[in-house]
Parts: sequence; structure tokens; C-alpha cells
Amino acid sequence: MNRPFIWKLGIVSLAAVAAFGCAPVGTETSTGKPDPAGAGTAAPAADAKLAGNLEVQAFKGGFGIDFYEAALAEFGEKHPELKTKIEGDPRVWERLKPRMVAGDTPDLMFPGWGMDHWSLIADNQLMPLDAALDSPADGAEGTWRDQFLPDMLKIGQVDGKTYLLPLYVNLNGWWYDKAVFDKNGWKPPTNFAELKTLCAAVKAKGMAPITYQGKYPYYMIHGMLLPWAYSVGGADAMKAVQNLEPGAWKSDSMLQAAKMIVELRDLGYFQKGATAMSHTESQAEFVIGRAAMIPCGTWLYSEMKDNLTDKNQLTFFLPPPVEGGKGDPSALIVSIEPWMVPAKAKNPEAALAFYKYMTSPAKAAQFVSEKNTLTAIKGSESGIKLDVLRQPAALFAASKDAWAWQVRDWYKPLHTEIENALTSMLNGELTPEQFVERCEKAAEATRNDPNIAKRTL
Amino acid sequence: MQRRPGWFIAGFLAPALLLYVGLVLFPLQQAVQISFFQWRGTSSVVKPAGTANYQQVVRDPVFYEALGNNAWMAVVVGLVVFAVAMLAAHALKKRDRPAKILDALVLVPMAVSSVVAALLWQFMFHPQMGPVPELQKMLGLGEFQSGWLATPATALPAVGVALAWLSIGFYVVLFGAGMQQIPGEVMESADMDGIPGWAKFWRITWPLLWTVRRTAVIYWFISVMNTFAIVYLMTKGGPDHRTEVMLTYLYITAVENSQYGYGSALAVVNLVLVLAISGLLMWLMRRDPAEARA
Amino acid sequence: MKVLRGLFLWACVLAVVLPLLWVVLGSFKPSLQVIADPWGLPSPFKPQNYREAWTEAAIGTGFLNSLIVTLTTLLILLPIGAMASYVLARFKFWGRTFIANTFLAGMMFPVFLVMIPLFLLMRTLGLTNSLGGLIIVYVAYSLSFTIFVLQGFFQAIPVELEEASLLDGCSESALFWRVMLPIAKPGLIVVGIFNAIGLWNEYGLALVLMTEKSQRTLPLAIADLSQTQQYQADYGALFAALVIVMVPLLILYWFIKDRLKESMLAGSLKG
Repeated sequence: MNRPFIWKLGIVSLAAVAAFGCAPVGTETSTGKPDPAGAGTAAPAADAKLAGNLEVQAFKGGFGIDFYEAALAEFGEKHPELKTKIEGDPRVWERLKPRMVAGDTPDLMFPGWGMDHWSLIADNQLMPLDAALDSPADGAEGTWRDQFLPDMLKIGQVDGKTYLLPLYVNLNGWWYDKAVFDKNGWKPPTNFAELKTLCAAVKAKGMAPITYQGKYPYYMIHGMLLPWAYSVGGADAMKAVQNLEPGAWKSDSMLQAAKMIVELRDLGYFQKGATAMSHTESQAEFVIGRAAMIPCGTWLYSEMKDNLTDKNQLTFFLPPPVEGGKGDPSALIVSIEPWMVPAKAKNPEAALAFYKYMTSPAKAAQFVSEKNTLTAIKGSESGIKLDVLRQPAALFAASKDAWAWQVRDWYKPLHTEIENALTSMLNGELTPEQFVERCEKAAEATRNDPNIAKRTL
Repeated sequence: MQRRPGWFIAGFLAPALLLYVGLVLFPLQQAVQISFFQWRGTSSVVKPAGTANYQQVVRDPVFYEALGNNAWMAVVVGLVVFAVAMLAAHALKKRDRPAKILDALVLVPMAVSSVVAALLWQFMFHPQMGPVPELQKMLGLGEFQSGWLATPATALPAVGVALAWLSIGFYVVLFGAGMQQIPGEVMESADMDGIPGWAKFWRITWPLLWTVRRTAVIYWFISVMNTFAIVYLMTKGGPDHRTEVMLTYLYITAVENSQYGYGSALAVVNLVLVLAISGLLMWLMRRDPAEARA
Repeated sequence: MKVLRGLFLWACVLAVVLPLLWVVLGSFKPSLQVIADPWGLPSPFKPQNYREAWTEAAIGTGFLNSLIVTLTTLLILLPIGAMASYVLARFKFWGRTFIANTFLAGMMFPVFLVMIPLFLLMRTLGLTNSLGGLIIVYVAYSLSFTIFVLQGFFQAIPVELEEASLLDGCSESALFWRVMLPIAKPGLIVVGIFNAIGLWNEYGLALVLMTEKSQRTLPLAIADLSQTQQYQADYGALFAALVIVMVPLLILYWFIKDRLKESMLAGSLKG
């Protein structure tokens, strides 16, 4: 029975060698030059009648797709010649990826967190949207571009060209339960020293001071590592890291932040077992009162609302900054989940007109009131209905630097390595110095890899 | 009588072979081709890479760690699975009530999907409420700072337990079937000769089970190398690759990190290794050891 | 020794039953209670979880599609698999071991490796979003395991049976359909059951090939529900959905478990 196996091995290797150099069926070899894309399609005038088909694909997550479906229905009424279709799925990117490869794309898509948007950009699969942005807005004065908060638009831009458009905006911070805090006479901490004092008090009460979503280290990265590094080193330090500058990870800011995390761990302020917990598990621990604070984005309320009782008063606050740090204490980390138009879309005019409609001030405010989240459209906070959203809205409005951690989108293997290193540090296998050293090495490898497209802030 | 069944053979093989070649081998060959390119998986743009991906595999410490984890599961968990399955099969020979009940239930874990099993075992090890940490506390052994599934030393064994739970039923039935095939007279004559229980098992039953053992070993090996869902859902390969197996590494590389070329190279290497080692195992176990000795 | 054996058996029974009971228990609980009080009794008892699970994810359609796909796949897979295994097991011809090993190799690589090339191929053939397309893909990908197991069964049949029938003037074809296949029935049962389990739970290929809601199979419907539930953290409905998926398999298993054992006995041990 052994000889045929060796034959099989031989044939597989021969076939492999024979395949060397032949492009797989259905693929084109990249010329290596960026496509000198034109300015993209201008969206038609607001009252022009659209025709043809419009296909929209959307990620179906915590906010569902009912809002988009209703908006599309309304939009369809204004353009009776237009045949519209919208589909959603919690893992819609798994369907969209093969379609992108095949060149059979929808007209407008919101692929969700599982899609690698920046690879789409690198492969010239998305349409630049600046011409549309410079056209008149729908239902407001000025251009469409004016309706957006400029910092949010910047996140989806490369070399001044906009490929990704935001709708809702998530802020990253921490949460506590005001009811629990009031009962115990606790106040949310405004700096790291206060945090430690608070944790000691919480621990004395027999409650875990801080829990976190250890199975997905990016929560801790957004909630502790980055805010604290920013607080110590300021915006410039973070920019150096995002631009993969040599030595950026070994700066004082990152090392300090790592040490702060380890300090909290060593003082016993992290809930036991948090490193193994998923987001639903740790968030549940927080909601039922076994932990006092948790780092999480503003989506926490929507995600857990069916599990809340009247007694809960979930409140959002910023990660407590370091006293006397270079970074502005009002800074916060935002994340967007973008919408985009594939380069091969057959009806980009309709796609952009529809998206313009959904991002008009009236619709944006409606989204805010229905979904309890902030959006990137100016003035949409007028739609806030629930108290739980007022605090984040106020912090967002008052923030002098709302920035995004784009390393996670631009350099996925690097980010995986950072996550793994963080887990090892939490487990005591790496010291903070070794942690930043490992991240620095990974950043260097990314910097030196010619196959990875580099971006700069 | 000479049978010249050429057309018959071709006719009988054709449907299966055509479907297989067209829908399995053809895409597989394309996937192998992809391993010689860089591909992000989001468009049809590819960049030729020669053997760069394979060179990277050879230099990749995570690849070796994943392979080591697969090997650990195959050997350590395998030994446990086989030992428990043998014991259970042996214990089930007497048809009393507990035996009949277990008999009815033994394949149930296999019938429920990996999603259920992963959720279940994640709960069993839950740091705040799971029975395993509870037991640990009750026995005075304290608790883990990071929980069973994220503590480097215990993560892989914990996943191994879940894998064993899923898999054992199949082997209990397999070994049981093998034991039932042993002619009654052989066992009776052993009894009459006064050979005690353990010796009887070791010197008579065990050697006669060699075909079953061979099937079991090869099947177990292949299923360990192809383990994906239970590991991915329980730990995603963490903490820091301590539970990474070949397939989770492949998935994260290709699908999550958009490196399909490298992922395909990993898969091809995995495939070749599985072929080679299965072949080796088949060759090592090719002869009935009793015959060889006789 | 007797006591030990008894204890061991009961421990095994518990190890199997308790986790499943926990899922069933949880399926009747309001969501947060699943996490907050995992071992307690549901309070309040919430069978609405099942209704939610059923309606939210259009499980009825998923159920029907899965039933059609699984049964049809088996109806095609078993005959052509048996035909191929028979020939590979009992005839000597050039290329026989090579072909046998080629089929075997299909068990040794993960399906998601070929997901995208397969999708592209099916698109070119116009077979995406059709139950028929999914069925032939399932048949193709189940052949490896099927042929692996059935070869063993066919090899075990004594040569004398063959010779006797041929002497009686039987054609090769009749020999197969009237004599060999019935003898190999236990093998078909084994292979049928194990394939049915895998097909019923199959997710990856269905996800990529079936995008229309009306074409979805049960695992897709459940996954949609569980993913959406994850975002809304409704564990109760999620568990209810899992129970809905498990129940048909458990019922099937209950009915055929004895036959299954007999079948695994006869001949699965060779080869």
C-alpha cells in the first residue's frame, strides 16, 4: 500500500511544479501599477429619475437591516423606474468575497467587519467617491461632503481620494453601572490614580473591578493600551506607530501603557478568567453585576439591551487618562463600519443617490433615534432619544481629537501579532519590555515586506 | 472463466470519478496553483511569488507550533480516546442496564454539531460558573488567572477534552464491533485455561483486534489533522498560538488576514504531510502481527 | 471490579447526557439567566424561545431545504459510491490503486481551501443558488469517505459467492445489483448515517453557494439566528435553535442505532 502513496506524492509535486507560473483560471496578474482611477461617478441631480437595477448588500449586525430596507423602499417610491433589491446577513462578507473575485458585484455594499476593505482598495475594486461628495447634498444646503464630520471622512481616504463612507460611528471607551456606583458611593475615575483607588474599593466589596473580552484582545487594545499610550505620548506618538516608523513601539508611551495594564493585573483588579472570556460572556458578567467596569464601544447598550433590567443604568465614560500626559484628555478612539461602491458596480449613480438619501440629515437623525448610536452626519444627534446616548454624544462633540486605530484595518497580520503578544503579556509570559519589543519586530517585518501596501496618516 | 469486464469497470467508475475530478480535484488544483502567488482574496488580482510562500512556511515558527499541537492531540488525546474506548467497549460486553443505556447514547456527541460541542465545553470551563473550575476550587486547587481556555499550560488539554468527548463514541462502537467478531470459542478456551481478566485482554483480545486498530489509528490521525471547528470556536487558536492547529492557522491566515497564497501553501504542506504519514502508518500496520509471528 | 465497571459506565452516561440536558434546559430560559444561573431551573419558563427561533430565522424553509438536499444527496451518492467501491474492491485493473488513493486524498484537505475556486466554477456552470447544484457538490465531496468505507465492505465478501452466481449465468451488472449490493447493505447503512449527519450539519459550502433566502439550508438559517442573537445576546433563543437542529438527528439515531451497530460489525474492519 505504500508505493502508490509515493506515486501520489510524486504526482502532486509534479503537478505543483507544472503549475508554477501559470495564473489560476479566472485571475489576472497585477501589473503592479496603481490604476489611475478617474474621479469616479458624480451622483446625478437630486430630482433626476433613476432607472435600472439597484442591488444593495448589507451587514446584518446589532442594528439589523430594517432601517436600510425601509429607506430603500422610500427611495424606490421616488424613482419608480428603478428596481431595487437589498439583502443582509450576519456574515455577508463571506458571500461578497467570491462575488468580488468573480467581478459580479452589487451596486452599493456595507460588507461589515469581516471584509478586508483595504485589500479591496489595494486591488482597485472600489470606486473613488469624491466627485459624488462634491455634488449637492440631498435635503440640506451645501455639498454632500459638507454633511459629514470631516474627521470621519478622513478615515476612508487614501492620497486624498475617498473610498469608504461612514454611516454610524462607534466610540471606544469604558462602561460602568451608575446604579451600582451610586449605591456604593463610587464615582467614575477621571485619571489613572483615581482608577486604582476605585479598584481597591471595589475589590474590597468582593466585586471584580474590571473585566474584559480576553478572547478578542482588540477590545483591550482599543480600551486600554491605545488610550493610555496616547495619553502619555500624545497624538504624534500614535501617528508614528500607525505610520510604522522605526522605534515607534519602543517609545515611552507604549511601554508605559503596557506597564499600566500589568500593574492593574498584579494588583488583582482584573476579573479572574477574563482572558478566556468572549465578548458576550464578559459583558454579561458586567451586566449582572459581578464586575464593575468593562472597556467596550458604544454598541454595548444595543447589544445587551434585551438582558437589562430596570435597575441597570449603563453609563459610558472615557478610559481614565494619565495625569500630566502629553495627550489631550478629551481625545477618543472612534471606529466606523463603512459603505462603499464597487468599481464594477453597474448602477453607481443609483447607489450613490440612495446613500446620499440615507445620509441626509433627516434620515440620519432617524437612524440615531431608532438605533441608539451616533452617526458621522452633522446634526444627527438631534435624534437622540435615550439618556444612555447623551454622554457619548457630549464626549464626542467636546473631543479635541477623535481618531481611528487604522493599523487593525491596514496591517492585519501585524495586528494579529500584537493581539497575541498582549495575551502572552497578560499571562505573564512577556514583560512589558518584551511585549513592545515583539510588536516593534512585527512592525519592522511589515515595513520591510514589499507585498503589503503601506498607508500613511 | 475469464471475465473481460473493461467496459463494466469504466461504466461503474465513471459517474463517481467524473463528479470527483470536476468538482473536487479541479478546484483543488487551482487552490494549489494559488500557493505560488500572492492573493488577497478580494479580487482576481494576483502576483506571482514563485516558491516564496513555501520558503516562508519552512521558516515560520507558528507553523511548527501548530504542527506540534496537532501531533500532541493525535498522540496524547488519541491514547486517552483509545484507552477509554477500549475499556468502554469491554465493559459494554455484559448487557446489563447501564450498558444498554450507554449503548443507546454513545454516538450522540458525534451527532450534534461542533458548534454545540464548542459552546458546551466553553461553558464547562467558564471561569465564573463552569463545573470544571468549580471542581477545581472545591478541591482546593485555586483558580487560574486567565481561565482554563486562556492559560498556556491548560488550554490545549481543555480543547483536547472537548475533542475526545466528540470522538470517543465512534471508537467505542468500532472496538465493540471488533470484539464481537472474536470467535466465542477463543474466549471460552481462555476462560477454561484459567487466564485472568487483564491477561486475557492483553494476550488474546488485543492482538485479534489488529484490523480494527489499524482503521482506528488512521481514521483518528486524519480527523485530528482536519480538526478545525471545535478549536476555532473555543479558543481561536489562542492564547498566543498555544492551541493553534494547522487548519485554524490556515483559516486565520487566508480568510482573516487576506493572505490566500500563503494559506494555500500551508494547506498543501498539510495535505502532503497527511498523505505521507497515513501512508507510513498503513505500511507499518500492514501485516497481522500474529501472522508475522507465526 | 464489578463496582468499578458500574461506576465507569454510569460516569460515561453522565458525561454524554449532562451537557445535552444543559442545552435543553437553557433553551427554555430567558437569555440572561442562561449566563447568570446556568444550573437553575428556567424562571420564568420561556418556550417562546422556540417560536422566536423558528420564526426569526425562517427555519421552516431551512428545514425543508435541508431535508431535500440530504435525502437527494444520499439517493445519488450511495449508488454511485457503491458502484465505484465495488469495482475498486473486487477487480484488478491498471490504475486501480492510483484511483483508490486519489479518492482517499479527498478526505485529507479542508473544504474552505477550495471554497473560492469552487464558487467560481459553480458560477460559470450557473449552478449557484440551486438545490441541484448544492446536491452534486455534496455528492462529490462525500465520495471520499463513502468509497473508503464501502471498499472495506465489498472486499469482505467471499469470492465463492461471485463464482457461484457467474456460473449460474449472471451478468456482471446483475451480479452487482442483485447479489453484492444486498450483502453490502450494512455498509450502506453505516455510510448513509454518517453522511447524513455530516450533510445535515454542513455549513461552509452551503453558505458560499446558496445566497437566496429561499434556498437556504437549516445550518445557514440557524447560523443567521445565532449570529444575530450573538449581537443581541439572546442565548435562550440560540439554544432553542440548537435543539431544533439536533432533534432530527437524535430521532434518526434512536431509530437506527441497533442496525448501525450490526452494520459496523460486519466488515467495516477490513481494509
